[in-house]
Amino acid sequence: MPLKQSEAIVLRTYPLREADLLVTFFTRQEGKVKGVARSAKKSRRRFGGALEPLTCVRVYWEDRERQELARIDSCDVLQSPLSSEVDYPRAIALGHIAEMLDEVMPDREASDTVFRLAWSVLQNLKAGQVWLPVTYFDLWMVRLLGFLPSLEGCVVCGRSLGEELAWFHALSDGLTCHDHRRIASSEMAVSSRKIAAAMFRAPLDKFIGDPWPRAVAADLRKFLMQILDRHLDKRLVTSAQLDKLE
Amino acid sequence: MSKFAEPMARLIDELKKLPGVGSKSAQRLAFHILRSPEEDAGSLADAIRDVKARLRLCSVCNNITDVDPCVYCSNPERNQRTICVVEEPTNISAIEKSRNFNGVYHILHGALSPIHGIGPEQLRISNLLVRVENGAADEVILATNPTVEGEATAAYVARILKPSGVKVTRIATGLPVGGDIEYADEVTIQKALEGRHEL
Repeated sequence: MPLKQSEAIVLRTYPLREADLLVTFFTRQEGKVKGVARSAKKSRRRFGGALEPLTCVRVYWEDRERQELARIDSCDVLQSPLSSEVDYPRAIALGHIAEMLDEVMPDREASDTVFRLAWSVLQNLKAGQVWLPVTYFDLWMVRLLGFLPSLEGCVVCGRSLGEELAWFHALSDGLTCHDHRRIASSEMAVSSRKIAAAMFRAPLDKFIGDPWPRAVAADLRKFLMQILDRHLDKRLVTSAQLDKLE
Repeated sequence: MSKFAEPMARLIDELKKLPGVGSKSAQRLAFHILRSPEEDAGSLADAIRDVKARLRLCSVCNNITDVDPCVYCSNPERNQRTICVVEEPTNISAIEKSRNFNGVYHILHGALSPIHGIGPEQLRISNLLVRVENGAADEVILATNPTVEGEATAAYVARILKPSGVKVTRIATGLPVGGDIEYADEVTIQKALEGRHEL
């Protein structure tokens, strides 16, 4: 079979046999592809640092008849997460992107929009500035997956939330007004809904440079993670790690 | 029903749990043990039992040892004030092979790996802090792997050691000796250029 090629993001690697690596890529052309990189564990000559998770690469692979796993032929590094400083918050944020893509994207189903989102977020994810890209990524992922309810009105009465505080609950969809909030609901500030609206209108790099401490849109991130937890029926490991970050 | 006698099937099942050992290899190993003299099989069993019974972690550096403190921490000929921080005990032998390091070690037993749920609390960092805060170190060399996880771990350890005022250094990354620039990847070349020095 002829070699296929695509831009791709390395999501995860697992040791396989003595010297091989099982690699999950998120490719632009074919979505999530799993393949075997022969001798990648033993020799760095062929793949170098290209199989480090969250490396943006051009991958060449061969699909084999009646076999689920592709044969990874080679990888050219386009952008490595190791090119700039890696601190602990950035490592968690990188892991979060990899885990989310690995968990929610189906095998062999291309999504150019999700690919462009992930690619752009990875280019802008720098040490000391993780909250803006993480918020942007989570918001757009939840929207692109079709899980995001309207942020403009109460899901119970339909009234516009305007400049009011909104409320959300871990076990129910959407935002509610003050009158229809459930017990143990969390608040979402008007400013966070405005940030979400702005993020739907502009690419990520338009926001770069704005100060973005952890507290900014923390309620929006919590809302998004609760939606994902409900749909995935489990909590992402990296979401818990992000929660613990100071 | 198993095609082997119960003790043999049990041994094969146990051997299959070893890394890199599949069914066929496990069978081969099990038959080798069966055919080997009684004393060889006994020595193997004793060695396995001993490794679990007698080995523990060094209370100073977390190295795997049968004596506490370990041979590095108790050796007066080694520089006890230079600490090299590594991810795993197996990293020590690679550094020792170089014969260029005469200090002592600190083993973290892993690296920060958010995707696997490994955070700072899963690593053995606290006794490194105690060593440094007690004034037992002039320099801490961070020799974690040059991966995202290793770099994040080094950055984290450097940050928590900073208030103590100890000198913290990171091992260099770049081209391997005997390597060929033509085959090096972009990041390695970038790191090699960043770490260049004047001749």
